Amino acid sequence: MESGIDLQATFIQSLMDLGLPAGLAKAIWMPLPMLLMIIGATVGVLVSVWLERKISAAAQQRIGPEYIGPLGVLAPVADGLKLIFKEDTLPARADSFLFTLGPVLVVIPVFLSYLIVPFGQNLVVTDVGMGVFLWIALSSVVPIGLLMSGYASNNKYSLLGGLRAAAQSISYEIPLALAVLAVVMMSNSLSTIDIVKQQSGYGILGWNVWRQPIGFIIFWIAALAECERIPFDLPEAEEELVAGYQTEYSGMKFALFYLGSYVNLVLSALLVAVLYLGGWSFPVPLDLVAGLFGVGEANPILQIVTAGLGIAMTLLKAYFLIFLAVLLRWTVPRVRIDQLLDLGWKFLLPISLVNLLLTAALKISFPFAFGG
Amino acid sequence: MLKFLKQVGDYAKETIQAAKYIGQGLSVTFDHMQRRPVTVQYPYEKLIPSERFRGRIHFEFDKCIACEVCVRVCPINLPVVDWTFNAETKKKMLRHYSIDFGVCIFCGNCVEYCPTNCLSMTEEYELSTYDRHELNYDSVALGRLPYKVTNDPMVTPLRQLAYLPKGVLDPHDLPAGSQRAGQRPEEIAAQMAKPEAEKTEA
Repeated sequence: MESGIDLQATFIQSLMDLGLPAGLAKAIWMPLPMLLMIIGATVGVLVSVWLERKISAAAQQRIGPEYIGPLGVLAPVADGLKLIFKEDTLPARADSFLFTLGPVLVVIPVFLSYLIVPFGQNLVVTDVGMGVFLWIALSSVVPIGLLMSGYASNNKYSLLGGLRAAAQSISYEIPLALAVLAVVMMSNSLSTIDIVKQQSGYGILGWNVWRQPIGFIIFWIAALAECERIPFDLPEAEEELVAGYQTEYSGMKFALFYLGSYVNLVLSALLVAVLYLGGWSFPVPLDLVAGLFGVGEANPILQIVTAGLGIAMTLLKAYFLIFLAVLLRWTVPRVRIDQLLDLGWKFLLPISLVNLLLTAALKISFPFAFGG
Repeated sequence: MLKFLKQVGDYAKETIQAAKYIGQGLSVTFDHMQRRPVTVQYPYEKLIPSERFRGRIHFEFDKCIACEVCVRVCPINLPVVDWTFNAETKKKMLRHYSIDFGVCIFCGNCVEYCPTNCLSMTEEYELSTYDRHELNYDSVALGRLPYKVTNDPMVTPLRQLAYLPKGVLDPHDLPAGSQRAGQRPEEIAAQMAKPEAEKTEA
């Protein structure tokens, strides 16, 4: 499981064998993983919308979408088509440039953060050396988009909603970053691949969730707040402020907000899986199983099976977290804006600092277990 | 110093309690996922309306005496009673009767106050048409009896809450022949006859 399948090298090599120059082969390869990741993220959104509707229905003893496609799987497609065909309004005397730019700034950083999500040793768009830090920096661009959307709507309630949304987003960035910092301190690296590799080797016992239980909970709460999921969905709640900063949006621009909210949820679930639940590692270390069966490490079938299992495990862990998020949506009441900010600054921030100190102390005292 | 530690301890206790409450809530929500959905999948499953359900009004032309009480007691004076006075028989003769169900509010006042019981309410609620003028039922249409939901081969009829056996809340998959909670009139009569028989014996 050390090097896994190297798709890039084999693709470029096969193109060069066909006679193409090296530079052109590399240039042809470059957009492919990016395209695949964007398609993967969009399919992930469709699946997560369907999952949300089916799991919400089950929790409420209903059935959910049933007749739109088998088991209702075409329901998100129907949603998307409806939003495409709706009229894209612009409020009177609203700043049209900012109005259009707001949703764009909210959605693009989330898609961009998919660069760092690994599905396997070499199954990542690119191994950025400062992976998680890039994600945290990109998620800090989102409040600007929220403020733009709220201000440019020419609607005082949208403005208030936008201000609240930006305050929420900013307040929960710090506990998020501190929880990630504790994990990074243990892994001695910001790269997501190094973080997963540091957790592998011992199967389920090596995952970060056992060494960082408080950090896991802090990260999960802060991630839910960043995604504006219930119980933190005050800015866009259906009963509050009409729809907050999204009130004046319809058609494709609203579709961008809708899409961005689910893409963010899938991204957060994947990142929790990578940071705390061992990423692509199987509960039982696969090289042990391969050794038991006497299969060599360079066996191509083993490599394909390992890669496939890695992708499946990542998706399974992300699905479990999405399931938890949907269940939480129908369990917990919404928090008020003052309770929300209290939770972020007066509760999560001190606890995440304490968690960081504890991790540092444990790293010094037990370097073999906490990343020496 | 001690006070600070006590504050930290209280804070930690409250946090654990909050986590416990959320955990209990999550277990309730999760438990709901294994229950059967309560959805009545119209039009393949329909609820059987109750005995006093206020559906479409039924009119018996021959019983009507054209007293127009139904018009006076209706909140919007809706029924159109077309009668003339027949000079030979010295009686009112009803020529036509109609109710517009696009306007009717199904309150049942007319049914309650009709002196000859020619008006009654059926269990029909599926009155949609493509043209609102088709909702103006004349005396022929008012005289029709609705199609029973238990006779429809495409529909699984489901009973409402009052007609379910004791302790059952879900109308799906009821065993055949289950009766509603409470006794049937024959059983009550038998029970009343028994003590009387015992009294006469004693």
